[in-house]
Amino acid sequence: MQLNILAWRSLSRNRRRTLITGFSIAFGIFLAVTFTGSGDYSYTSMIDTGAMMGQGHVSVAAAGYNARPALSRWLPDPGPAMEAARGQAGVSGVYPRIMGQGMFAAGARNVGAVFLAVDPAREHAGHNFFVRSIVEGELFAEGDGRGAVIGAGMAEKLNLRPGKKVILTVTDRDGQLTSELFRVSGIFRTGDRAADSGFVLLPLDRVRRTLGYGSGGVTFVAVYLDDQRSANGVARELTRGLVSRQDVEVLTWRETQPDLSGLIAVDRLFNYLLQLLVGMIIAAGILNTMLMSVLERRRELGIMMALGMTPAQIVRLVLIESFWLGCLGVAMGIVLTAPWFHYMSQTGIDLSRLIGEEYSAGGVLVDPVMKMRLYRESGAAILAAVFMLTLAAAVYPAFRAGGIMPVDVIKEK
Amino acid sequence: MLVLKLACKNVVRYRFRSRVTIGAMAFAGGMMIFYASLLEGWLGAMETNAVAMEMGELQIHAPDYLFDPDLYKLVEDERGVLERAAAAGFSASARLLGGGLAAAHENSTGVSIRGIDAAAEEQVVKLHRHVRSGKWLAPGVTGEVVIGQQLATILGVGPGNEIVLIGQAADGSVANDLFIVRGVLKSVGQGIDRAGVFMDAGDFREFFSLPRGAHEIVLKRNDPSVPLDRATRDMAAGFPDLEVKNWRQLQPTLARLLDLSDVSLVIMLLITYAAVGMLTMNAMLMGVFERIPVFGVMKAVGFSGPRLFGLIFTETLIQVIIATLLAVAGGLPPALYFERRPIDFSFLLRESSTIAGIAFEPQWYCLVTRGSVLLPLACLYAAALLSICYPAAKAALISPVRAIHHT
Amino acid sequence: MLLRPCVILRRLLSVLIGAVILLPADHAAAADTAFSVDRERAREILETIDDLWRSTSSAARLRMVVTTAQYTRTLIMEGWTKGKEKSLIKIISPLKERGTVSLKDGNTMYTYLPKTDRVIRLTSGMMMGSWMGSHFTNDDLVKESRLADDYEPALTFEGPRGGEEVIEFELLPKADAPVVWGRIDMVVRAADLLPLSARYYDEDMVLARTLDFQDIREMGGRLLPARLRMVPADKPAESTEMTYLEIEFDIDVPDSLFSLMQLRRM
Repeated sequence: MQLNILAWRSLSRNRRRTLITGFSIAFGIFLAVTFTGSGDYSYTSMIDTGAMMGQGHVSVAAAGYNARPALSRWLPDPGPAMEAARGQAGVSGVYPRIMGQGMFAAGARNVGAVFLAVDPAREHAGHNFFVRSIVEGELFAEGDGRGAVIGAGMAEKLNLRPGKKVILTVTDRDGQLTSELFRVSGIFRTGDRAADSGFVLLPLDRVRRTLGYGSGGVTFVAVYLDDQRSANGVARELTRGLVSRQDVEVLTWRETQPDLSGLIAVDRLFNYLLQLLVGMIIAAGILNTMLMSVLERRRELGIMMALGMTPAQIVRLVLIESFWLGCLGVAMGIVLTAPWFHYMSQTGIDLSRLIGEEYSAGGVLVDPVMKMRLYRESGAAILAAVFMLTLAAAVYPAFRAGGIMPVDVIKEK
Repeated sequence: MLVLKLACKNVVRYRFRSRVTIGAMAFAGGMMIFYASLLEGWLGAMETNAVAMEMGELQIHAPDYLFDPDLYKLVEDERGVLERAAAAGFSASARLLGGGLAAAHENSTGVSIRGIDAAAEEQVVKLHRHVRSGKWLAPGVTGEVVIGQQLATILGVGPGNEIVLIGQAADGSVANDLFIVRGVLKSVGQGIDRAGVFMDAGDFREFFSLPRGAHEIVLKRNDPSVPLDRATRDMAAGFPDLEVKNWRQLQPTLARLLDLSDVSLVIMLLITYAAVGMLTMNAMLMGVFERIPVFGVMKAVGFSGPRLFGLIFTETLIQVIIATLLAVAGGLPPALYFERRPIDFSFLLRESSTIAGIAFEPQWYCLVTRGSVLLPLACLYAAALLSICYPAAKAALISPVRAIHHT
Repeated sequence: MLLRPCVILRRLLSVLIGAVILLPADHAAAADTAFSVDRERAREILETIDDLWRSTSSAARLRMVVTTAQYTRTLIMEGWTKGKEKSLIKIISPLKERGTVSLKDGNTMYTYLPKTDRVIRLTSGMMMGSWMGSHFTNDDLVKESRLADDYEPALTFEGPRGGEEVIEFELLPKADAPVVWGRIDMVVRAADLLPLSARYYDEDMVLARTLDFQDIREMGGRLLPARLRMVPADKPAESTEMTYLEIEFDIDVPDSLFSLMQLRRM
């Protein structure tokens, strides 16, 4: 207690210095929150968008599908996998889907594209980016109907409008060529050129029949989560639940979207590096402050020791000072950051004018609005880092102070 | 002179304080040099991978080729174009482009076949440095191809294996031939990864029965200081019958993205500079304010305000000079080291991946440029000398009596 | 542009063979029935055409001349068909492409390329590619071509045109038929129901291409148009012309001819 009072007294004696140092800590917190917050937000939104482009946060596919996707690798009975996935905590959607490639033709024109066959009765716009991006018409209503939702680019290339027919030619599960007629029910526009000109939503039951998949066959079961961070846990549980089945593999978005995963890893590294650097510079500032403060109180500290304070107590005193300095910095940081963070998490900055509409990274569309969100663990990490740095920066000055020889110092002047 | 002498004396006298201040500035400066070099390296890699990898700085095509590529839309006199480009100060390479089908084992897929002159190509772009396995094409090597990495996976082939290419030749016949895979590229962007097949231009001509012409001429400025826009204008004026475009016109989204990442890197630099500035200011403020009683005494014994200001300023200058020397000594060597040996973060990233069509590799090189060294130092000077003005002025203006009691 | 492999062409064969058989003389009587513009009747005629087309075997020697803005090429080919499922075409000249074979067996297509000694199986991505540099796509030859299955016919005109009595059909695709066209207009000779022309429209009823059947004469014991001429609507200066040099019908063609093993041996 005594030491706390002493520490406060010393901090308040040199108010300017304390405030400057506190402000630099606050500035560090501001930066850390900004960078971590925009990272947490944009990674999550990229991962969620990536999941919404077909394969979910976690997917269950036929063994070997991920290495070489082909319509010949399929799951005849996804029932157990779907049951197992539904039973997991934090799962917000489970969808049987078929994904493959085919040629789409209308009149004398044709284009190759990826198709995703979905069950319209189950499909939810929140888990399907293309359904969400429909700008004309609507999603087909019947699973065994002939509706198709195509991209705006493809509609232009093939000269299609809602109601027009498009012929899919595809190699079925046995490698036989087969054709099927579909009618455009809706057109989506995502802003990504590749998706808009090369992606088609088709009704699941109809495509099952076309490919000879029987009544329940799929290429994978897409599992959507409330929180993408639980993907690994859910995948582990699913793997355990399906361990008896050698013919399936459980994949997370990291495996189905390796580009995105790598990109996020690199970006995060970049982010941490910057924060570490700024943190070190701020720590150097604290070190500087504490050293100065110790230096200028050499006499005072010397007298304290002469009056019976042990070096250990002196060390503790300096560390406590530093701790309170950290607290002050955090308080200032919160005052400085809270309004900014509030604005950024609610409104955000629209960058679409800067980067244009068509921007995708790692094969996934990126939201042009820069926003922030902070995971609890990220916030905790920032606070922990601030205190660690503050204390670490005070260690050297503290021991220096603790090592002062009382007699030498008092004699000095 | 007296001021300078006094300043030196003070710096030496308050050894500990000077050491702390100089140390803080030197640390900040050194870090900045290293960090700025890292960012330069990152930016350089972005540009390289986006532009120098395969696209080249300028491209020349027959009119309308870009809009609707066709085997028959040729730059007829490609030799003439190459010669004139060389005379105008460009490295240039002619390419032949065609579509086809590649098959191996039971697998087949559509490919984009590119016939190139290996020697000229190396002068213009850097694709040859991005071979994952096997070897890149070499002049005189025929019957061999280098393919994209995903294509290799799709076909299930690697160096030494055979693939069959099929296409429609210029005379309408079915072009088909066997080729040996000579090399497999690293990831360099989706188009090439999935469908890129590179072969010798001679092989291409034979395969497609196309004896003359080229589809694409790729140029690189020999003198990078020539503005891209001017180079484009000059070449466009030189070839009124052809379409001359620079990479910014060819890939506007990419150009915008690069500009944006330029901006965001500058912002990051500014933020770190701000942190450095704050640190420096903190050190300076403390260094001066805590000596205000001393300055009071000096004033009392006849030191004028301006001289005192000059003294403090000079002291700071001496400290900054020492700090910058230390910063260079501390920051430059690691930057130079990592310029040769990349920081490897392949544990995070598979071989390489793409963002917005630009390939990224898991090796990160520093790039030491004039800017990456001088800018942090200039920032250090600016921060120190600006932040000293306030306390120095205050010290200069304060009355001796108040100064002596100042705490 | 990307995918232009060559593969066997069922529809081309079908069209060729169909033309061949489109109506042998003894069926001409069918055309004599009452001229009511009658859906039923149109249907019957179409069914007749389809049936005839299916149940035959043939061996032919043909010449294909392709004229494009860039090249003109002439190919001599030999072809065999058996029933509806099996067909095979082999190039005899030019020398450079000699021995190239296209095979269709059921729903599977292969191409044999002698230069590389490889058999390539056609995948969906290659369907819209040009066949042998002609204006026919692989899809033309691969697609099921039983017109009565996919189209709803209607007689639109009967009477003299250009000095000849003709019947004109309009074929509209059935609602669920996987065909790319929006309509086909067919003209047949009233006397013997031999086809004269087919015009293909896309779904917006814009003409995409025209197929003319010319030079009707007797070959292999049947009356047939000896020449087919395809003109793409967007490039009227280009064409592909296919001419029968010789043809034989109802010959004994062994099933083994249409096997993969046989491909390499040819």
